[in-house]
Amino acid sequence: MNASPPPAENTHELGRRARGIAVVVWSGFLAAAIATMLCFAFLDPQALRGGDTPGWWSSRSHVYAVGFFFFWLIGLIAAAICWQLARTGRRNE
Amino acid sequence: MNDVRIPLHGSGQSLYVAQEKIYPREIDGRFAGLRTLSVWVLLGLYYLIPWLNCNGRQAVLFDLPNRKFFIFGLVFWPQDFIFLTWLLIIAALALFFFTAIGGRLWCGYACPQTVWTETFLWMERFVEGDRNARQKLDRGAWSASKLLKKAAKQALWVSFALWTGFTFVGFFAPIRELSMAVWTFSLGPWETFWILFYGFATYGNAGYLREQVCKYMCPYARFQSAMFDHDTLVITYDVERGEPRGPRKRGTDARAQGLGDCIDCTWCVQVCPTGIDIRQGLQIECIACAACIDACDDIMDKMGSPRGLIRYTTQNALEHKPSRLLRPRVLIYGGLLSALVVGFVVTVALRSPVSLDVLRDRKTLYRLTDDGNQVDNVYTLRILNKTEHEQHFRIEAHGTTPLSLLPEREYTVASGDVYSLPLRVRRATYDPVGAETIRITVRSIDDSSIHATTDARFLAPAR
Repeated sequence: MNASPPPAENTHELGRRARGIAVVVWSGFLAAAIATMLCFAFLDPQALRGGDTPGWWSSRSHVYAVGFFFFWLIGLIAAAICWQLARTGRRNE
Repeated sequence: MNDVRIPLHGSGQSLYVAQEKIYPREIDGRFAGLRTLSVWVLLGLYYLIPWLNCNGRQAVLFDLPNRKFFIFGLVFWPQDFIFLTWLLIIAALALFFFTAIGGRLWCGYACPQTVWTETFLWMERFVEGDRNARQKLDRGAWSASKLLKKAAKQALWVSFALWTGFTFVGFFAPIRELSMAVWTFSLGPWETFWILFYGFATYGNAGYLREQVCKYMCPYARFQSAMFDHDTLVITYDVERGEPRGPRKRGTDARAQGLGDCIDCTWCVQVCPTGIDIRQGLQIECIACAACIDACDDIMDKMGSPRGLIRYTTQNALEHKPSRLLRPRVLIYGGLLSALVVGFVVTVALRSPVSLDVLRDRKTLYRLTDDGNQVDNVYTLRILNKTEHEQHFRIEAHGTTPLSLLPEREYTVASGDVYSLPLRVRRATYDPVGAETIRITVRSIDDSSIHATTDARFLAPAR
């Protein structure tokens, strides 16, 4: 049970990248969930409606969903940059 | 200068190990029973609560489109957001408190990841059989029976995941209407999307990612050790009693052979959902599910040795020092937690069904009437009706001398609405002399127990 064969180099690399992506997606998701909750607790999309708001703004559900994915995208960008910076660069060890 | 190369793909040392599929061996025992109970209670609550009705509407409904949260008899508005924040702080402190006492109880028994993984494992076991059968099935070549088994498992998983997603959306949109919409294929695009989204997350996390979520994605797993001390319950292998490990014949004296109680059967490793060997000591991957305790107790019973070679214990107890339950950490977490819970309950119970903001007009301090005998102050009032019905409000103002209000009239405020109105308050210029604090009250004509009062500053010339 304990004596597992050493993993092949390419599966090893793939697993690492896949997990990096999972961490980035997941941490962005968590941040987006918090941001959406806070944002729409204080802002009512209906109250922000005006002549210049787009058509999909008509329903709160749409704005909530678009807002969530917007925050997720921002979170993804931040997490991806963070991951890239943390794993590359000069190491002083 | 030294030739320093920047590695393009990180250093050779990976933070992660390649994942091998884990086939946890099924186990019966005290703690497995507890977890099964916990799964039934928690998932039972999850799948049933949206179907409960209270006061003629869904008992628990987070009605996002209408910005109202219904929780049994209570209605929460966006202005009550403080309560949600408060509740989250209580939840976090409760997690700290129970972690400090019992270790990773949350991970082992209550975390949705654990609970749903457990149900997905049941389904897998139901279709594909026990651990050996599953390993054999996966190793074997594709055949009609393998295809059938895999298809049956997928069908069970997918239906359960979709039902989970549907229930999830049912917390945010009325579930009876939602089920009608599913039945008549008239679901809206967003509802469809969120059902699929949450269903897919359940399917992926509980069916495939499983322990990898705990190992690589869970933030709690990374900081829970900060709540641990030497008196926290942890699941540990008793090295003193177990070592040196080794096989022996049943009924022979292990001590005479120079052996400890561990027979090295590796059952504790085979049952582990995260695939670790608890005998190597406390590890970050351990979610404290206690499956290894059940497995080891079983073996100890068979060998005629006392139970508890692997058990819940504290580090102090292992080192033969006394364990304390009440210690500063527990007292502080417990004290804060009780204070917050009591405060929360009291505040929610005393929550006013109407709220009133009074803003002074900033442009003019005060205005004298033409004859100079009376002085006016102008305010903007904001009335929020948090009840479920329309209310007719009357406004009163009290100072040291009689005040008159302009205009004097009733205001009708719809349920959940905020109503802004200008209010002019008038009194005699020099009675009393100078400024004073007045009380402005808004009271419902329909139900006089619904009222709110706010203090405001009334300005007047000193002489």
